[in-house]
Parts: sequence; structure tokens; C-alpha cells
Amino acid sequence: MEKELKVIGKSHRKLDGKERVSGKAVYGHDIELPNMLHGSILRTAHPCAEIISIDTSKAEALEGVECVITADDDVYDVNNISYKRDHPILKKGTVNCNRDEIAAVAARTKEIADKALQLIEVEYNVKKGIYDPVEALKNEAPQINEFGKGKEQFGNKNMAESFHYEHGNLEEQKAKSKVIVKRTYELPRVTHACMATSNITAEFSPFDGRLTLWSSTQVPFLYQRDIAHALKMEPSKIRIIQPIIGGGFGSKLDMHPFEPICVLLAKKSGKPVQILFSREEEFVLSPTRQPMVIDLTTGCDENGKFTFREVEIIKDNGAYTSWGATTPFVMMQSYSSLYQVPACKFDSHAVYTNNPFAGSFRGYGNPQATFSIETNIDLMAEELGMDQSEIRLINANYKGEVTGQGLHFKTCGAIPALEKVIDESDFEKANAEPKGDRYKKGIGLGSMLHVGGGAKIYRSDGCGTVLKLDDYGYLTIITGSNEIGQGSETVLAMIAMEELGIAEEKIKVINTDTDVKPWDVGVHASRTSFVAGNSLLGAIKLMKEKLNKKAVALLDVVTDDWEYADGKMTFNEFEIKIDKVAREMHFGTPHELCTVNYFYEPPSKFQDKDFKGDVSGNYAFASQAIEVEVDTVTGNVEVLNVHVSQDVGRVLNPIGLQGQMEGGLATGIGYALTEEMIYENGELKNPSFHGYKLLTATDMPPVHFYPIETYDEAGPYGSKGAGEAPLIPTAAAIANAVSNALGVTFYSLPITAEKVLRALKEQKEKNKEVLV
Amino acid sequence: MDFEVINTTTSDELLKAIAANQNSNFRIGAGFTDLINQLKKQNTEELTIINIAQLKDEAYTQIVEEADGLRIGTLATASDIVDNNFIRENYPVLHQAASKLACTQIRNVATLGGNICNVSPSGDMTASLIALKATCHIVDCNGGERAELLSDFIIGLKKTTLKKNEIIKNITIPMNDHHNIISGYEKVGSRKSMEIAIVSLGYHIQMNNDGTITDAGVSCGAVAPTIPFATSACDFLLGKDIQDLTEADKEEFANKVMEYASPISDVRASEWYRKEVLFNLSQTIFS
Repeated sequence: MEKELKVIGKSHRKLDGKERVSGKAVYGHDIELPNMLHGSILRTAHPCAEIISIDTSKAEALEGVECVITADDDVYDVNNISYKRDHPILKKGTVNCNRDEIAAVAARTKEIADKALQLIEVEYNVKKGIYDPVEALKNEAPQINEFGKGKEQFGNKNMAESFHYEHGNLEEQKAKSKVIVKRTYELPRVTHACMATSNITAEFSPFDGRLTLWSSTQVPFLYQRDIAHALKMEPSKIRIIQPIIGGGFGSKLDMHPFEPICVLLAKKSGKPVQILFSREEEFVLSPTRQPMVIDLTTGCDENGKFTFREVEIIKDNGAYTSWGATTPFVMMQSYSSLYQVPACKFDSHAVYTNNPFAGSFRGYGNPQATFSIETNIDLMAEELGMDQSEIRLINANYKGEVTGQGLHFKTCGAIPALEKVIDESDFEKANAEPKGDRYKKGIGLGSMLHVGGGAKIYRSDGCGTVLKLDDYGYLTIITGSNEIGQGSETVLAMIAMEELGIAEEKIKVINTDTDVKPWDVGVHASRTSFVAGNSLLGAIKLMKEKLNKKAVALLDVVTDDWEYADGKMTFNEFEIKIDKVAREMHFGTPHELCTVNYFYEPPSKFQDKDFKGDVSGNYAFASQAIEVEVDTVTGNVEVLNVHVSQDVGRVLNPIGLQGQMEGGLATGIGYALTEEMIYENGELKNPSFHGYKLLTATDMPPVHFYPIETYDEAGPYGSKGAGEAPLIPTAAAIANAVSNALGVTFYSLPITAEKVLRALKEQKEKNKEVLV
Repeated sequence: MDFEVINTTTSDELLKAIAANQNSNFRIGAGFTDLINQLKKQNTEELTIINIAQLKDEAYTQIVEEADGLRIGTLATASDIVDNNFIRENYPVLHQAASKLACTQIRNVATLGGNICNVSPSGDMTASLIALKATCHIVDCNGGERAELLSDFIIGLKKTTLKKNEIIKNITIPMNDHHNIISGYEKVGSRKSMEIAIVSLGYHIQMNNDGTITDAGVSCGAVAPTIPFATSACDFLLGKDIQDLTEADKEEFANKVMEYASPISDVRASEWYRKEVLFNLSQTIFS
């Protein structure tokens, strides 16, 4: 039995909830500094062109304009950015995608800055551009990114990144297979659609060379390093302050050109400068989910046991390389280790084109991989005449399993999660039911595997914590981790309440300033509550040692067994207020403050050169059974019910977890049915919520959530990371449900009403042919 | 955005403001749900906004049952229309159109007159009023008045017969001849709220007690530069017994509706999809 807890496991409202709903929260857009200027960036008029000339003289002459910069400016002493260092901050000579920044203006008002942009004259020699990665791989294609190292590294000048992975004996497993299914899947570009648009405010001091940035980054310490590299600065001279962030979802994991540009404007003008994206800029400029074409071949034997997976992926890398190119780190996990897979071969190639680049996005390649895997599973089951639930259950991951990739599932809720959604949705009955006339009902299953205890992608995946208990019994938690809306700072406060018996109103969480807080790698990989929670627990242990020792001295009793509750420390009949202990420490000899610091590094391992190794502290598993109804008159798919069961290790904050589920599902349903960035020849055709169909609250179906608690000893109180998982199997389950409803399988997302109607029309015509 | 605002609270003030601005660039705003978006995209330095959101004149604001029909003030909001029981019972097409418009927050401020004067081919309330054969009652700044059938008032993409010195005061809808009606508004889109119709179909069909169709109004949204009233489809129905409509009749009706559809392909849907859906929907309204 797990220990009975007082705070953990009981719903707790978000610490910043009142500020957010009342409009008191201070976002980056609310920052105003004395003499602050407003920046705007001129972007290319053509996605692929040579720049013949740039004339900024008229813009510079406009009243209210303080400075204009281009790549020829003296202040432009910079390095290329992105992890491949293939991305110039300001472009000269050539432009390669619709986002390309050519010049920037700082002016007294945003309106003046925008007006100045219109006065900058750029002469282009427009080129055709390459928007299809397959075209870009051809010999005759020109080299798209002049900094690309594809020729030397991968044998093709337009190859940006490539991954190869394998385990098991593929040929042997193919020979064993009774059924082999080979399909091609196409995944679209979608965007995070953060409610707060990207923003940055930069203040540079010419006196000591220090830079302060108010930034919406979700990885402040990596960002500090990236800004430093871009601008040839010392990282420690850069202070990152994070105002409240209105949505991250992975979009703020990389640094983008507008951020160093803002600093350059501040340097040149000698005044603070702020750049705020409009909604249209947010659509055009923020990184997208990685689009890709997946060729997946899978097999199973006559009993339905999986035999192998063979995957070949072509990714449209866009003109520069951002984190989208590295999504195979996660995709390899899914292909190699979601369900038991005796043999797997995986190849992924990211190819430069004149499209925009993709970044990281909640799920990090996993929704794409899972969509292909789960669709192939349904097809194999159909061919074998096996139930869709049974084929999943007999292949599901299990406790103690070490997968071909070396992931070690010390706890595993895969089978309980599957069984739960199958049972709660009455899957077998719903699956077999008649589908209806105009409105056809269907049900589909999808499962997923994701890291649950961080992911050792950087040299450290750790998090530091400093704790301070003041003379009045108030606890300050200074954590390296960030809050971007996911509710982790609330979880940290709950942990402190649980362990130290301090009331919520006496707890402060400080997490927004790199000059103050200790290091942390940032918000990604569903890691924050896991890593920051463990770090806090480590710090609390140290603080308790101090408090215990002092209480022993004060009360003249020998014990280490103090109970912390209601602001007091108690042992048998001995009792003392925690603030009194802190005061006695401070004012009594030997005079010390009740502060501690602790750094937690998870036990996970760096993967080897073959991408094998136990990369996470633990692993999350989830299954979803989704019921849909398809309107055959309009083609619209309505999601009626979502049954989601997820191995979260242990529930920390039920209401926060439910919020993660619902938010994730909203993104997953949009990915499945409506969201798509429509690009034609490198230009985005729907940069607004009018044309880009982000779903709203009214589109949300009832969400039936069944957490599975497996009490993994690596996580705080046995918990696992939960943030990304809820959207990962959603598109897969919906696609399988639509297929169940209509008898047609869809191989591309989103499954729009138009695709459905076309498929129904084709189906009708085929049936006619059969009758004839 | 930087522009002059003239606030008006009486019709007298309103007409004076219109008169005073005949030589300048002005827009009239009430709910501002479309106007603000439009102003973001244009230079507003020389622009005056005549704000009628606080106008108190009942002729502009009230929904009134009259002997020969219903009068709805130009400033009635979509929510006023959704909440009106007489409309819900007698003109389901309008009730449904108003309730499918945007979202609650927008419905609370978006006005009928604004929806009409925005002249969007996908205007929900406008499409339903065209099916209802509504009439616009227009005043000018000199006190002159005129009335015009809504389907005549709209003359092209973003074009109406409204002159610079005029404003719509209210609209009227003829009283139903019979209680026996088939009336509704089908709106096709991919979201349940905050959606602009990809295709819409408004229909208001009246039958006598025998089931004979005595009057019909059908309009289709987002499939042409204006919202057409499908005259030939309506004429086809007149005199037919609703119970005797065969599948072939329904198909012929749908084909006649299609005569009015000349949709375009855009990022939201293709021409093919719009036609397919309109045809499908037209067949379903009798079942």
C-alpha cells in the first residue's frame, strides 16, 4: 500500500489561476520600459529569390524611426543560429522561405515601425523554389541552404538530417509473418496556436555589456546559451526573465531570428526594444509540427503477434533546420517499442525545401508515428480476422520489458489502460453495431508510449532547487523549472505543503529569472513535475535534516521522526512551530538561515550512437477509445466520446491532470479532423483563425478519463510525466473510428469533411460498378 | 488605430451625424464585431466612426409583432433574436441562423443591421431573412424613408443599394399564412462555433392544412457572390403536396437549388465540396 497523503492526490486550484482569469496576469505584451521602442521586421515578399538591393533610406528618414538594421549593418556581428548553424539571423544575397527576415526597424510606436517597413525598398530576382522534398533530392535541384552539410554528411546536398535505427533480425521476422501491411501516410503542418503571440523585450546596457530579455521562451537556460552564441556574448551576461507565458506547447523550445534581432535593435538604438507578433505573424512565423510522409510496413504471425516494423520517412525540413528535424528521437521509440516489436528498421530523412521549417510541438513526432502504427494495426487485424482490441492486448507492453531499443519498463500500465478503455467504451459492442443511415457511428482504438521521466537529450536533464524558510514560517521555492501554464508550480507547492505541513498561502514559487534560479533544462518531454518534483523533494529532505537537528536541540529530545503538519513539527508529546525553529536557527548560535539547495539529475542514460539506451526515468503509457459520428451529407465527423486511460504513475493534482487531458485532446482532435496550414508554393494561405480551424470549447466531446496508477519509484510519489501523452494517440483512434463507421481507411490528416465526402462518393461509385 | 468617434443616442443625433459627415469618410458601428477587424486592415487616420451602439430609439432596437408581420430593429442583436419566442415558433429559419452565428460573446453584441450591411455571402441572419422574404426599411438623413426587399437591397459582392446618407432602421418579415411550416437553417462548417458558413441553406416552406405547399422561400449562402433566393426551386414546390414528394421530386428540387450555386474554391473548401454539400442538404430538408 502506498502511504496515505494529505495534499497530493487531491484537487488543488492553480496558484496563478486568479491572476489569469481576472486579467491581472502580466504577459510579455504588458511589459513597458522607460523609453522603450517598438520593433518590426521586414520579411521577404517571395519565398525563393535573390536579393539584388535593399534601400532603407526612406524608412530611416521617417519621423519616429530610431534605427533600421540589415545584415550589412555594423551592429550585425553575429553567428548563424539553429542546432545545425544553418540559419542566418538576417538574410542577404538570397531568401529561402516565406519567413526570411531582411531588415528590422525600431521606432517610437508600433504604427511608425510598420509604416517604415513599407518604405524599405527591396529588389528581388524571383526564383521558382522547390516545395517538395522529393524534388529537392534530385540531382538537378539547386542547393537550397548554402550552409547545409548534406553532401559531406549524407551524400545529398539538400539532405538536412538523417537517422537510422534497427534492432532484431528483420528478414527472419518477415519470413515468420502471416500478414504484411504496407501503407503510406501523409501528415500535415499544424501550428501551436498559442493564445499569447510570441514576444520579446530587450534591454542592453552599454556600460557593463549586460543584456536583459523578457522572453516567452520555455527553455530559459538553453535560450541564454543560444542568444549568447548568436550574438557572440558571454551567456552569464544575459538575464532571461519570463513574464507569464500564454501557451508554449513546444513552440518556444528553439530561439528564432526575431529574438536576436530585437537585441540588435536595442544595441543600435541604445534603448529597450519590444517586438510583439501579430496573429498573422504568429501563424506564419512560429514553428510548426513536422510534416512528413511515412512509408510503414508491418507484419504479424498467424496468432496476431507482431513480427516487425520497417519505416521510411521523408520530412520536409524547410529552408533551415530546427527541432522538427530531430523528431526521430521520439519516433524511433514508438516504432521500436510501442507494443512488443521483435525487429525494427527505421530511416528518416529531413530534406531542405523552400518551405518554412518545423519545430517541436507537444508529442514531438509521436502523433505522426502513432497514427501510422495504429492504422496499420487495424488493417492487420482486419486481414487476420482478429478483433482490434485483442490484437493490441496480446502485443501490449508489459512490466519488466526491456525493448529492442533498450527502454526498460520498470512499471507499465499499458495493458490496464487498454483494458480500461475497451471496457468503459463497451468497445466490442460498439465496434460491431450497425452504423446508421445519414449519421454513421464508429469507434476506434489507439495507444501510445512516451517518456515519463524526462529524456536525456542534453548532457544534463536535471533541475536545481533552492529553498528558503524565513523567520515567519513562509517558504520560498526557487526552482529552475518553468511554468508555461501546465500547472507544475502548483504541483511543487503541493509537494511542499505535503512534506513540510506549511499552508499554501505561506508558499511562494520563484521561477522566472535566470539570474536568480538554479539551472534546469526547460519545459519539454513532459518532464517538469517529474524532474522539478524530485529536485524539490531532495531539497526538502535537506531542509528537514536542518530543522530536525534544531528541533532536537531546542526540545531536548532525541529523534529523527518528526511529523510536519499545520505549521508545526511534532514528535509524541513534543511540539514546536516550524517558524520558531527557523527563528532560533537565525538568532540562536551558530546563527544560520534555514536555506538549502539541491540539484537532481535523473537516473536516465544518454543513448548510444545506435540510439539505444534507457533514455528516460520512466515511461508513460496510454490508450484511447474514441466514438465518432460521421454525417454522410456534409462529411463532418463529430467526436461523441473520448475514453482515455493513462499510466500517470500516480495522480498528483487531479484537476490539473484533467486539464492536461482535455487540453491535449483538443489539440489531438484538431490534428485529426480540422487543423492544417495550407501552403502553396511556399506561401501560407490561411494565416488566421478564420481559415485555420482550431477547435473551440464547443467542439469538445465529453472526456472520460481513467488514470492508471503504477507507482513508479523513479517519480515523485510514484508519478510519471503526463503532459504530452493525451494528444498522441488521438488522431490514430479517431481515424480508426471513422474507418469503422464508413468502411474507408484514411491515410492522411486531417480527415476533413471534404476528404470524407470524396471517399464516400468513390465508395458509392465502386459499389455501383460491382452491381453492374 | 486612430479615428474620430461620434456617439449618438437618439435617431435625431444619428441622422445629424450622418448629414454632417457627407463629405468625409465615415463608417457606422454598432456591435463592431466585423468593423474592428476591417479597420485593422486599413488606414484609419481620416476615418470617423458613428457609434450607434447606445442609440435608444425603439424603432431601431425593438422586436415588435405587428398585424401583418414582425418588425425587427436594426440594432437587435443576434442574442435578442435567439431569445425571442415569437421568432423561435414562427420563423425557425431565423432563430437557427442567429443561434449558429459565431459564439455567445459575439451574438451578444452583433446586430442584425450589421450582419445585413456587411453583405457577406455567408451572413447567417441575412441568408435566413432572404428565405423569409424580408423587407428593409431605410431612412436618410433628410428624414426620407424607403422600403426595399432584402434580396433586391443586396446587389453584388459587398454591394447594396444603401446610399451614403442612408441607414437601415429596421426590417419586416411577412406573417406566416399557415402554422404548418418546414423551416430551418443548415450551416456547414468544421467548427460548432466561431465558424463562417462554408455552405448554408435557409428554407421556410408553408403548407395549408391539407399539406399543399402555399409559399416557399429558399436561400443559399456562401455559394455565390450574393445570397441568392432560389426562385425556381421555390416555384417548383408551390402547389405540391408535401406528403407526396417523391425521391425524384426531392432530387429535382435540389437540382433547381443548384442553379443558383456558382461557388469558388478557397482555403476553406473547394467548389466541388460546396456543390456536393448544397445538393445533399437540399435533398434532406423534407425528411
